[in-house]
Amino acid sequence: MSRRCALLAWALLALLGLGAAQDCGPIVSRREWRALASKCSRRLRQPVRYVVVSHTAGSVCDTPASCLRQAQNVQHYHVRTLGWCDVGYNFLIGEDGLVYEGRGWNTIGAHSGPTWNPIAIGISFMGNYMDRAPPARALRAAQNLLACGAARGYLTPNYEVKGHRDVQQTLSPGDQLYDIIQQWPHYRSV
Amino acid sequence: MRKARLWGLLWMLFVPEIQAATKLFEEKCTLAEGQTLTVSCPTNTNMYSNSQKAWQRLKDNGEVQTLAITEGSSQVQKGKYFLEDIPSEGMLQVRMTNLQVEDSGLYRCVILGPSDPIILFYPVRLVVTKNSLGTPDSDEYPCQISVQNPTLPPVTTKLRPRPRPRPVTQLVPTSADRLSSPGLTVTPTNVTHITSIHVNSRAQAPGISIIIPAACGLLSKTLVFIGLFAVTQRSFAS
Repeated sequence: MSRRCALLAWALLALLGLGAAQDCGPIVSRREWRALASKCSRRLRQPVRYVVVSHTAGSVCDTPASCLRQAQNVQHYHVRTLGWCDVGYNFLIGEDGLVYEGRGWNTIGAHSGPTWNPIAIGISFMGNYMDRAPPARALRAAQNLLACGAARGYLTPNYEVKGHRDVQQTLSPGDQLYDIIQQWPHYRSV
Repeated sequence: MRKARLWGLLWMLFVPEIQAATKLFEEKCTLAEGQTLTVSCPTNTNMYSNSQKAWQRLKDNGEVQTLAITEGSSQVQKGKYFLEDIPSEGMLQVRMTNLQVEDSGLYRCVILGPSDPIILFYPVRLVVTKNSLGTPDSDEYPCQISVQNPTLPPVTTKLRPRPRPRPVTQLVPTSADRLSSPGLTVTPTNVTHITSIHVNSRAQAPGISIIIPAACGLLSKTLVFIGLFAVTQRSFAS
């Protein structure tokens, strides 16, 4: 009896362990949000040590359908109007609680200037967070993304989170969101 | 008797944890003579744009030697030490040219203020070797990161295109774990590192991107089950 129990316990533990070794998810892939193909080629040196949190300062969205459209809008602005090779951020976070794949873990983004772009992953919350905070599900999605990135080796285990205003002259990520990220365990002001 | 042994093992687990917590993290940089050390120390655009920054050396006797200070100007060149303060980008760039073996030691970027200096980035443990290592030149990365796994030659850092997947801590250590350990995943020619293929599958054709991860997942799960079964059989048989 105890022998069978022990075997069952080990089997369950193994399944749990293997279940954890999956993709960073759920992330809305580029194909899913119908992104234009990227023309960027500069690769990020792995593992990345810094994460810069910003906001788009644009329209907010709170459903998967509206956030999908908003991700397209952001890319459209960056590619068509600003003439960039792709949407500037490595990942976008919607108030629907989903992560939208931008340039991803491997490509240098265009979010924080020439000093920080080659050494940081730029994640951006879709919306303006000067006077309001993102909902808990959006914050959870962002933190989950980063934890997963560290677990998979895209980020160093002791990666540091910075606010956009810590590394550039900007109001981004907004007073409310900035207050929140300063409480995150990996945040470092210097 | 068995209980005492168990408690002994538990204490053994705690002691290294306490030791690790008290030791301050140091950034290790290994360079050859004649090369240049480049360190990027993040400052903060808002907080310290007005403050003085310095590059210091920490001697073995505890003495702190200030090598260069930004005296209000954004760039300072003092012999082999070059400091560039970029407050608009929140970064302090440090360069030490023409390294010699005597330069090996512990260094740090600091913000000088009325009280204790604020340490930026991490203390840098510099090791300068006599012979050339053949490592890639340091450009925009803070330091020349030598290979994490000391048993592999430094050249493999250049060939490493994808991230090193860390082994999942919940997995029971079995023979299957050796296939996905970090040391083996660095060389691209190693076919058996299953987890890194998951990462690359995004670039392949849609059909292959389903088959390969599924097959590898099945293979790894089967191997783990076999390993666990063998372990439990052996423990119950004794």
